[in-house]
Amino acid sequence: MRLGMVIDLKRCIGCYGCQIACKAENGTRPGTTYARVLKREFGTYPNVKKQSLPLLCMHCGDAPCIEVCPTGASQKRSDGIVFIDADMCVGCRACMMACPYAARYFQDEERNYFGVGMAPTAYEVSRYQDHQSGVVEKCDFCRHRLDQDKEPACVANCMCKARIFGNLDDPESEVSRLIKEESGFQLNAEWGTDPSVYYLPAER
Amino acid sequence: MTISETRSISRQMTSQPDYLDLRRQDLNSTYRPQREWIEGRGILIVIAHFFAGIGAGAWIFSILFDYRVGEIMAVVSIGLSGLAHLAFLGRWQRFLRILARPNSSWVSRGMWGTLLYGIGALVYFLPGVRDTLMGSISLGISLFGVTLVLLCSGYVYSVSKAIPFWHTVLVPILYIAYGLRGGVALLLVAAVFGGSSLDIDTMETIKLWVLASTIVLILFYLIIANRSGGAASYSVHELVAGRISVAFYGGTIGIGILVPLALAIGREFGLAGMLTLGIIGFASLIGDFYVKYCVVKAGTYVPLGDAVGPVSPKIV
Ligand code: SF4
Ligand code: SF4
Ligand code: SF4
Repeated sequence: MRLGMVIDLKRCIGCYGCQIACKAENGTRPGTTYARVLKREFGTYPNVKKQSLPLLCMHCGDAPCIEVCPTGASQKRSDGIVFIDADMCVGCRACMMACPYAARYFQDEERNYFGVGMAPTAYEVSRYQDHQSGVVEKCDFCRHRLDQDKEPACVANCMCKARIFGNLDDPESEVSRLIKEESGFQLNAEWGTDPSVYYLPAER
Repeated sequence: MTISETRSISRQMTSQPDYLDLRRQDLNSTYRPQREWIEGRGILIVIAHFFAGIGAGAWIFSILFDYRVGEIMAVVSIGLSGLAHLAFLGRWQRFLRILARPNSSWVSRGMWGTLLYGIGALVYFLPGVRDTLMGSISLGISLFGVTLVLLCSGYVYSVSKAIPFWHTVLVPILYIAYGLRGGVALLLVAAVFGGSSLDIDTMETIKLWVLASTIVLILFYLIIANRSGGAASYSVHELVAGRISVAFYGGTIGIGILVPLALAIGREFGLAGMLTLGIIGFASLIGDFYVKYCVVKAGTYVPLGDAVGPVSPKIV
């Protein structure tokens, strides 16, 4: 089994719902967005276009971040999920230098959202205790939710159904069908990282 | 309320806004600079690799010329490199965790190199050991260690597929050349301040050859990177005409190459004296630091998202 995601660029309206759902689900600190949305404008008036590009860890088949990790903290499960064991991570950040998708975030110190010198809110205290300082973090396809037979938070909360999750190895799965029928592509496949996240073109 | 007033209030509300603003800005930019290994505590990585390089180079030449003061300075340099690594990692247990997986990556190989070098050199220094079998073995171990250190400090960067300016075999070659050059420079400084039993003329000749080869190497590296286009040529632009140009022209080229070159030529025309030699050595050391600083700071990630549309100057 190889878990993966398809993101339909035709459907995405750039609402940032996935980004916020991910932050709420994982209780990440300020500046850390495992799922995020890039927006681009191109063309010249009157022929201008705006394109949203939702991003997350690509759970690469050939993950350069794992190759360079000196402690084995960056690992891959048998279902293809690339994750970091925070207890093994030493915060050397070699993996951040190797990841071309900007999917990794160093947790240098505990920050809070509401004010210099102010105490963190009760919500922040309770959520940030799941995160260590001095280590690198990233998306793990919401492993904890998958264990409960739920979809990753960004998928479950996308109101446009632009994100679809499934088994890439199963030719009958919806993700495999979409990739085949709608010319799914990997982001910058030429880097040789073999991402498990596919995109469907913005135009047919 | 104006936009700038709103921004200023939101800055006051968010702790350490500069850091977060920068992160946001980077994630939205086409050419994202690497900051983790250069800014804040990240500078310790550059310092560590600087001391590792000159320490390794100085050890090799001190052994070659049987120069005791140089040997001590080489060991002190490697010690400082180890301390800088430790300070970057924050906890010594982390160092052990890296050592526990010797062949996992260039980072761990480099750490092992530092450790082997340290142990080998210390045993070699023990009274009565130097001319024994134990002395030869410890010397062998230390030389194996320095070779690893010289190789790994460049490879740690060149394995980073995401940063094309680093992802070339020229980076390890540059780090080796600068390590050797820095080693000679350290010995020249040692000869001035620590008294000399050193063959200065031979050292100077070596220094000139290494200096000339580093000039050629840097030029070659920049030309190749510039020709590769994309993020690599953006890095070159940052060095020669962008935010790193002052450090590049002032530190790497000016102090690191032109000053030693001018003084070396001056020596040919009678500008003699140990002090001149010391200044050549010292300027070269500053240049060695700056070449590493500049290469690391110029690291820029491959642009993301070109696949979904042309790169636009305006990214919102
Ligand atoms: S939630 Fe869905 S529609 Fe909204 S930005 Fe994310 S992927 Fe696009
Ligand atoms: S996207 Fe980056 S962090 Fe995720 S698997 Fe690929 S290289 Fe690793
Ligand atoms: S920061 Fe952590 S996960 Fe990344 S390479 Fe270092 S030890 Fe591995």
